[in-house]
Amino acid sequence: MPSFSGGVVGGGVGGPASAPPRPFRPSRYVPVSAATTFLVGSTTLFFCFTCPWLTENISSVIPIYVAVIFLFTLANFCMATFMDPGVFPRAEEDEDKEDDFRAPLYKTVEIRNIQVRMKWCGTCRFYRPPRCSHCSVCDNCVEDFDHHCPWVNNCIGRRNYRYFFLFLLSLTTHIMDVFGFGLVYVLHHPQELDTPHAAVTMAVMCVAGLFFVPVAGLTGFHIVLVARGRTTNEQVTGKFRGGVNPFTRGCWRNISHVLCSPQAPRYMGRWWNRHAVEIQPPFLRPALTEAQLEAKILDNGIQNDRHSTRSKSSLDQMESQSADMEAPPPPKPDFRYPGLPRADTEASSLLSEAPPTPLMYKYRPAYSSPGKNHAAVTHPNKMTRGESLDSQSPSILQSSRQPSYRSEPSSLDGATVVGRGVGVRRGGGDRGEGPGGPGGIAAVVSGGVSGYSLTGRSYTSYPSSLVLSAGGSRSSSLRSAQTVHNPLATLQSEGTTDTSYKSLANQTPRNGSLSYDSLLTPSESPEFESAAHELSPLRPHAPLPSPAGSGRPGAASPGSPLQGYTSPFLSAQIAQQREGQLLQGSTTFSSPHRAYLRAVSPPPSSPPGPPEAQHLLHHNQNPTSRIPRNPSSSSSSPGARSLDPPVSPPPRGLSLSKSPVHIGETGSRHKPRPAGLGAVLGGGGVGGGQQAPQSTSRPVLANHTTSKPVGGVKKVTGVGGTTYEISV
Amino acid sequence: MSSFHNLQELRHSASLANKVFIQRDYSEGTTCRFQTKFPSELESRIERTLFEDTVKTLNNFYAEAEKIGGQSYLEGCLACATAYLIFLCMETRYEKVLKKIAKYIQEQNEKIYAPRGLLITDPIERGMRVIEISIYEDRGSSGSSSGSSSVSDSTAR
Repeated sequence: MPSFSGGVVGGGVGGPASAPPRPFRPSRYVPVSAATTFLVGSTTLFFCFTCPWLTENISSVIPIYVAVIFLFTLANFCMATFMDPGVFPRAEEDEDKEDDFRAPLYKTVEIRNIQVRMKWCGTCRFYRPPRCSHCSVCDNCVEDFDHHCPWVNNCIGRRNYRYFFLFLLSLTTHIMDVFGFGLVYVLHHPQELDTPHAAVTMAVMCVAGLFFVPVAGLTGFHIVLVARGRTTNEQVTGKFRGGVNPFTRGCWRNISHVLCSPQAPRYMGRWWNRHAVEIQPPFLRPALTEAQLEAKILDNGIQNDRHSTRSKSSLDQMESQSADMEAPPPPKPDFRYPGLPRADTEASSLLSEAPPTPLMYKYRPAYSSPGKNHAAVTHPNKMTRGESLDSQSPSILQSSRQPSYRSEPSSLDGATVVGRGVGVRRGGGDRGEGPGGPGGIAAVVSGGVSGYSLTGRSYTSYPSSLVLSAGGSRSSSLRSAQTVHNPLATLQSEGTTDTSYKSLANQTPRNGSLSYDSLLTPSESPEFESAAHELSPLRPHAPLPSPAGSGRPGAASPGSPLQGYTSPFLSAQIAQQREGQLLQGSTTFSSPHRAYLRAVSPPPSSPPGPPEAQHLLHHNQNPTSRIPRNPSSSSSSPGARSLDPPVSPPPRGLSLSKSPVHIGETGSRHKPRPAGLGAVLGGGGVGGGQQAPQSTSRPVLANHTTSKPVGGVKKVTGVGGTTYEISV
Repeated sequence: MSSFHNLQELRHSASLANKVFIQRDYSEGTTCRFQTKFPSELESRIERTLFEDTVKTLNNFYAEAEKIGGQSYLEGCLACATAYLIFLCMETRYEKVLKKIAKYIQEQNEKIYAPRGLLITDPIERGMRVIEISIYEDRGSSGSSSGSSSVSDSTAR
């Protein structure tokens, strides 16, 4: 039975969270009452005054025919009025776990290779599915929202669009019938126009004629919409004006979808038959393979198994130096589940809980490689972590895609850790941080670690590489780390498209006009101010590479646009340039950004930022572009990148097979540490130049700066390094 | 007696630790499909194959429910012909499949997920936007203090 979803209390009994009761507003019922009155009244008059003569003198089929059409119209009218259009129940609290202030306003999803944005609904507390929209009149999100029709006082959505469409068709037909037969009557009684019958007939004809024009217009409009597979909302807002509609399946299939698809179920007012399922410990646990166990113990993140394969030869050398290296601390004992390495629960819980240093887990995969190298030394016969890698990398990315959407750095702690990790790495030797680095800096590590809690539990599995800090001032590493965080955060959120936040949406749930000015929250501005400080001293050191500058439209000079967020583009420039300059090897701080880019971070000769950012922008589209760059990396200037990490941040879908290419090329000099980083980066694809900073490859990178974004969508790094897409 | 155990001691209780949300897979449009990617939170809780089987079966159910074909067409015609009064008596095809899905989820919960401390929530309860999997943790035995006291009592005896 269709539930009435008009002005009375929405939702039903025993169902999920429903809309609060709304006040009774009689004005909402005026149009629907008028429509009903006109429809029923006019038809009744027609039957009483016009039909008898027609039945006797023309045909007796006429009243039957008109009656059938009228009943069909009425039935569709009632269904359109009383049927739940497809209202989504409010999301429960648990679904929206992440911090509102950080989660992005938009989430991008790809439908048939077309990027579609899902907007956060502050009222309903979820990201609106594609084609869903929030009706302000009904105060509900409606699936496949078409429009709110005042004549039926109901939203038209997925469930009742068919009835609305048939109502329009049948009403047009009915109006034409009534008008036509009335005309026949009048034409046959030209001298009796003053009789009541004729007068009523003419009155009915007037009403019919009056309503015919708008109704027929609306019917024609909807016929076009159905044929094109669009909703009124999409047509009116011009969503697909210049682009492709991902929801269309061709004219015939669109029509059959509207008319012949099964009746969709309603989400509100369902009786949940909840048979209680007893959950009683002890719980079964899946058996982990030995390889998985080792992988979990040693590294919590995305692994690049090429490292292990390539490390076969290098392992010998590493092992020889292992004497200097501190063995990785054993995994923390898991008292609840003995036999299961603690690290993996950390890993999973990191991703699922809101950690005190939430950004940490985003960078975890990056730091896993140091730990991994660490492990490589101590566990020579490393299993192929490729499997765990593949499984973990998409799962990490996917789980990160889930509620914990963050596009901003949310904790300084994580940032600090990141920074420290980088610094220490630099202290490592030729082999990268592996053998010498962690060992030498173990002391520093312990000191550093004590300072803060990494997501509430220390990462002892890959201890030092992450937490090592060398030199750099803490504050500067924080700042840089913050900027570094952003790209990774955005990467993790898989291409969040806007720098607006859910918190703003929640404050203004129906106001879609979130300007960039609203992004000037206090939490952000200090970040930018600090970035300004970074940039200014760096400016002298940071000659922007010309290819990068040329490739970037409207590249701003470093530091200049920092005065205000005048445009997202400028902010994007700033973010990228800032990150680029971070890589320039200022000795004043150890940039976590650089940590990603090079295990040992001597200042690169030229800033890789913008071109690499550009490269990252097109990373997803040009995954293969990385390979050609590898050969050039070997000719890097001395000291510039002793650790050009063969980072191949696998973009979504890009297998890690690329990394061996990198490793092979640069193997002799690098630890393949940032493979994990690459994996993280791959998640989002766009970041602030987190690309493998192979300086010699920069010219090659520059070539990619001019490549066009796919699908008419421009990816820009915005405030705080968040990436978002602007559909062109 | 040292062998005496308060039953309370032995009862372990599970508490809700976390929830994983399996999102919709919109790559093929707005037809109902859920992502089959294995979330990392479940890495240590359930085998990947079991999870993927569950999600794939659910996807198949939904595909069957939303299939535009002969049956849905006939249902539409019948509804039109009866001025939609048929909806009062008859259950639509989608509803029938939803009942099957509910039964399937119930069975999966009982057989596979509950023994592993997991619980699947029917996506229809969430507007078919997510599959919610609740992760339970063993809170340990309750009444352990009473256990020790009873032990000490028994030893004192």
